Amino acid sequence: MILQALAFYLFAGITVASAFMVIAARNPVHSVLFLILAFFNSAGLFVLQGAEFLAMILIIVYVGAVAVLFLFVVMMLDINFTELREGFLQYMPVGALIGIILLIELALVLIGWQLSPEALAQGQAPPPEGMTNTHALGGVLYTRYIYLFQGAGLVLLVAMIGAIVLTLRAREGVRRQSAAAQFARRREDAVAIKKVEPRQGV
Amino acid sequence: MYQLIVFLPLAAAILAGLFGRRIGDRGAQIVTCGAVGVAALLSWVALYRVGFQGQVAVVPLFTWIDSGEFEVMWQLRIDQLTAVMLVVVNTVSALVHIYSVGYMSHDTSIPRFMAYLSLFTFAMLMLVTADNFVQMYFGWEGVGLASYLLIGFWYKRPSANAAAIKAFVVNRVGDFGFALGIMAIFLVYGSVDFQTVFNATPQMAGQTFTFLSWEVDIVTTITLLLFIGACGKSAQLGLHTWLPDAMEGPTPVSALIHAATMVTAGVFMVARCSPMFEYAPFTLAVVAAVGASTAFFAATIGLVQNDIKRVIAYSTCSQLGYMFFAAGVSAYPIAIFHLFTHAFFKALLFLGAGSVIHAVGGEQDMRKMGGLWPHIKVTAVLMWIGSLALAGVPFFAGYYSKDAVLEAAFAAGSGVGDYAFVLGLGAALLTAFYSWRLLFMTFNGTPRADHHVMEHVHESPQVMLIPLYMLAAGAVFAGIAFVGPMVGENWSDFWGQSILIREDLHKAMAEAHHVPLWVKLAPVVAGILGILLAWQMYIRRPDLPGALARMHDGLYKFLLNKWYFDELYDYVLVRPAMWIGRLFWKGGDQKIIDGFGPDGISAGVIGLARRAVRLQTGYLYHYAFAMLIGIFVLVTLYFYTMGH
Amino acid sequence: MTSLGAADLVPVIPELFLATAGMALLMLGVFRGDGSTRFVSTLSVLSLAIAFLLLGLLPEGRTEAFAGMFVTDAFAVFVKSLVLLGSALTIVMSSAYIRSERMERFEFPVLVLFATLGMMMMVSANDLMSLYLGLELQSLALYVLAAFKRESTRATEAGLKYFVLGALSSGMLLYGCSLIYGFAGTTSFPLIAGLFAGGVEVSIGLIVGIVFLTAGLAFKVSAVPFHMWTPDVYEGAPTAVTAFFAVAPKIAALGLFVRAMIAPFGELADEWRQIIVLLSVASIALGAVAAIGQSNIKRLMAYSSIGHVGYALIGLAAGTQQGVRGVLIYLAIYLAMNVGAFAVILSMRVKNGMVERIEDLGGLAQSRPMMAAAMAIFMFSLAGIPPLAGFFAKFYVLAAAIDAGLYALAVIGVIGSVVGAYYYLRIIKIMYIDPQAEPLEKPMHRELGVVLTVSALFTLLFFAYPAPLLAGAEAAAASLLSP
Repeated sequence: MILQALAFYLFAGITVASAFMVIAARNPVHSVLFLILAFFNSAGLFVLQGAEFLAMILIIVYVGAVAVLFLFVVMMLDINFTELREGFLQYMPVGALIGIILLIELALVLIGWQLSPEALAQGQAPPPEGMTNTHALGGVLYTRYIYLFQGAGLVLLVAMIGAIVLTLRAREGVRRQSAAAQFARRREDAVAIKKVEPRQGV
Repeated sequence: MYQLIVFLPLAAAILAGLFGRRIGDRGAQIVTCGAVGVAALLSWVALYRVGFQGQVAVVPLFTWIDSGEFEVMWQLRIDQLTAVMLVVVNTVSALVHIYSVGYMSHDTSIPRFMAYLSLFTFAMLMLVTADNFVQMYFGWEGVGLASYLLIGFWYKRPSANAAAIKAFVVNRVGDFGFALGIMAIFLVYGSVDFQTVFNATPQMAGQTFTFLSWEVDIVTTITLLLFIGACGKSAQLGLHTWLPDAMEGPTPVSALIHAATMVTAGVFMVARCSPMFEYAPFTLAVVAAVGASTAFFAATIGLVQNDIKRVIAYSTCSQLGYMFFAAGVSAYPIAIFHLFTHAFFKALLFLGAGSVIHAVGGEQDMRKMGGLWPHIKVTAVLMWIGSLALAGVPFFAGYYSKDAVLEAAFAAGSGVGDYAFVLGLGAALLTAFYSWRLLFMTFNGTPRADHHVMEHVHESPQVMLIPLYMLAAGAVFAGIAFVGPMVGENWSDFWGQSILIREDLHKAMAEAHHVPLWVKLAPVVAGILGILLAWQMYIRRPDLPGALARMHDGLYKFLLNKWYFDELYDYVLVRPAMWIGRLFWKGGDQKIIDGFGPDGISAGVIGLARRAVRLQTGYLYHYAFAMLIGIFVLVTLYFYTMGH
Repeated sequence: MTSLGAADLVPVIPELFLATAGMALLMLGVFRGDGSTRFVSTLSVLSLAIAFLLLGLLPEGRTEAFAGMFVTDAFAVFVKSLVLLGSALTIVMSSAYIRSERMERFEFPVLVLFATLGMMMMVSANDLMSLYLGLELQSLALYVLAAFKRESTRATEAGLKYFVLGALSSGMLLYGCSLIYGFAGTTSFPLIAGLFAGGVEVSIGLIVGIVFLTAGLAFKVSAVPFHMWTPDVYEGAPTAVTAFFAVAPKIAALGLFVRAMIAPFGELADEWRQIIVLLSVASIALGAVAAIGQSNIKRLMAYSSIGHVGYALIGLAAGTQQGVRGVLIYLAIYLAMNVGAFAVILSMRVKNGMVERIEDLGGLAQSRPMMAAAMAIFMFSLAGIPPLAGFFAKFYVLAAAIDAGLYALAVIGVIGSVVGAYYYLRIIKIMYIDPQAEPLEKPMHRELGVVLTVSALFTLLFFAYPAPLLAGAEAAAASLLSP
């Protein structure tokens, strides 16, 4: 039990600290790296709670794909972040004041947190016995949550359409591969057989 | 069918009004005349069905307003009273439409005119078919609007504009009373539906409410307010000043206003609300007194007017007085009967006058006419028929109705009834006199117009004369044909539930047939006396009128200036109002209210606007920051109110 | 674990159809290329019309589907009908515009279709999760549409701003949802409502959650202070897109707002009322004041819509059935007025292209009297002058506020409408009194003309026959408050 608690505080502490560093780091590349660290620790938290599937997905999708993509983008774009931060100090006092008060208020919320038994009763959904995480998720994903699943699919479809609409340009002078044209090619179109007599030259 | 009667004119008005340029002058004329003509034919069918077969109908259209307890339907109420009014309105209106084709042929905006006429008709139809007070008010205001448009039809003439505004404003005074009456009805009864209100009236009778520490009788108050509305529309004493000025409109308009629509609205309303008026004896007395006074008063003014249309206008005013005092002695059927016959001969007179004016090239002053008889014989004969009916010469339409009115007044046996009878008799004599004065001055004697005009005097085209023939037929036969069913012994078979008379209290209707012989003969004698007097003064001794006017200069001026009503209003109401208005405008409004109010505020608002615009910097992080501040404020607000 | 039955599909038939139609039209467009845009547009309008019909054929009463994620009731049907109408009219109105502005690509109607689908999902949301999903589907499509004219810097800027701020607002919304979930232990609206009906003590955390949820929703309806994106996006986005933004998404978001406040948290009305009142007052005030200084008509319409959202929120603040009815009536009338006004704005074209300054309307009364008259009707109606429809819209929400005892709010609403009348009347003054600007191109496109006429007639004649709309709104409000 103690070990679990220690692990929890370790992971949680590192997550919060690295999340802070994401916005505090001067170098954007460092920010992304801290983000990856935060993801890893979150995954650890998931493992602690017995949600291995989510932990693995987090690492594969967020660390493996999203964060790396971020990293590439940040490195490819030549953005002067110090310039963007200009004027930061100007808003600092007001921002800090609001931030601190909001933080206190949210802390009050947490302190006053009480979960009513009725609410607890509604929320309990222990994973069925003798079933892996993956199994259990799969069981509800396509039945109980089919609506959300399909809805998410539509969101992704729209995102894809959006990406294409906003960025795809038909550029001139680019040669494209056309599989159909390649397949349709016949020998006669491509090769001409010329009988070359010996010693005649072409 | 009933929907057709009411909405055909509206459809025609919309068509002619909005697409007038598309369908052309001729198209607009055909559409409007056709629509109103069909409506008129259907109205006669309706009269037959409702009046003689007793098939009363209520045609619901749809819910208009439904707000809390206040529910108003669009609903057509077709009972005997409505059926008679439908016939009057649509028949006269159809004939006026046709007449206008000829009369307005030289005008430049014919479709507009025809559309207004149809709109006027529609509004009046809405009024008479209303099944609740709000719907009636809709028609009421619609009539007011249409009359404004029509009186001011020649909007380039300042006098026409002034007359239109005057008609509208004076009517508003009455409308205000009517509106107050409706509000009071809703307040007291909790409904504006006719049937509900009428059914509840007997319980209301005698109850009072407190107004500024006075105990006021409910039903009397409401009916008095309604009567103020009726006075405005029907040009009764006090609110009559708009009617003569309304002659600025084209003549067909005058005919429509005076014969079929608008002025009859007040009489109709009193008859429609008979179940309420019957429980307010004081109001009835007021109605009778005002009606009788108007009848006499307007007739005296008619004596000395020189404008051919104004003479007829004052006669309308006077005849409306007859209708009101008939209603005031609880003889509503007689009032409506007089309204019915009056519609025919008054329309005939107006359109005839229009024909005369048409003949002499737009001149309206009778002093510049005379000797027209040889040139326009048809018109002259028609005018004679109209005048005979108006004067109540036996066997013409007016004879039956006017006689009945006076008999009812006599039979009422009350003080007000006698007052009305005496004044009515006097007015009958004056009516006959000024009618023949008009005829003699116009058609007989030596021509006073210059020879230029006389050369061009011509009879009107057939399209104008045919409506006149039909109206003349009405002026001759409408009385004899309908006197039996409408006001005969068995009048209640005809009117059914549409009119309520408490016969135990008000005997005028029942007793009207049993008056002494001299009462029956008196109106006829008065009429013939008036005619002879006119003949004496304008044919035998044409110098007499001038001499009389010189002798009684004061009286003559008094009458010529219409009892100084306009001057009185100007002095008592208009000028002080202008003075107060100017005081408030310059001193109160511009200096104090504007300075600190609108001008000050608007300057402040514009300053605020500048600042608000400056908030919108266009920087993304400003916007995001604003959102954060927003959520911060909301959360903090919640914590703050939690603490309290 | 519940299994999915065919019965679950009945209430979602309109959405199902729309999703299928959207994907089919997308394929059609991809295979036939941009030349098929008009065809795709026509089919999109047709799909929306069919979805509208399907909506009418749904069984009456309240039905839930997908384990309570999705709900159909009279409220949903009413708002969805308005949304479908708004979307269809937008596609109709925009077809000429996107042609002349060289943005005729088949994705345009398809994106509108998906956005509409998202809106319908929002309106039917019965769970915090389906709420969020519908919202994202709609928003994502809108972000893309805002930047649809990608060669225009202004449009791109608008799209980007909208996207970034939208993401921020989504974050707030999700944070609120998680707080609520943390307290209630469920995301389902009926279960949350059941919790309060059971008399559970309300914790601060839940209220803060509601505040964050409100903030997220307020962003979508552009209520002050979450409105900052609105003027910039309205101005920057292509006019056809702005016309779309002004109508359907506003209606859907307000519908969602009302449901998300009433359905789960109806018992807590006293707690969240002050938030809504604050949003409403701020929106009315800013909408009235800030529009005065505008010279761009699209920007002006943005502030106008902020003000109108403030009025609609008055009805929500009342929290009663009458209030909800007022909101629904407001939305229906708002739809007609805005569609009409944007039909005019979409026909503000001179020889060299579109114009959007208010001065460009100068002297419109001489050159295009009918159009000027229609615009005047819309402006008078937006200002709330009787007997036009806009007056009744305001009347019903203000009456509800007074009945609920919110006198101060009602007074502020009236004052706001007086101040706001200034800029609406200014447009009329410019059209009727100011000297002629460069005359607009003739003729107006036929589709625009039809839309303009119909909406003008509705606005003008609403008072004569308001009964069906009132009855529909009444039934819809009843279905939400006393299911």
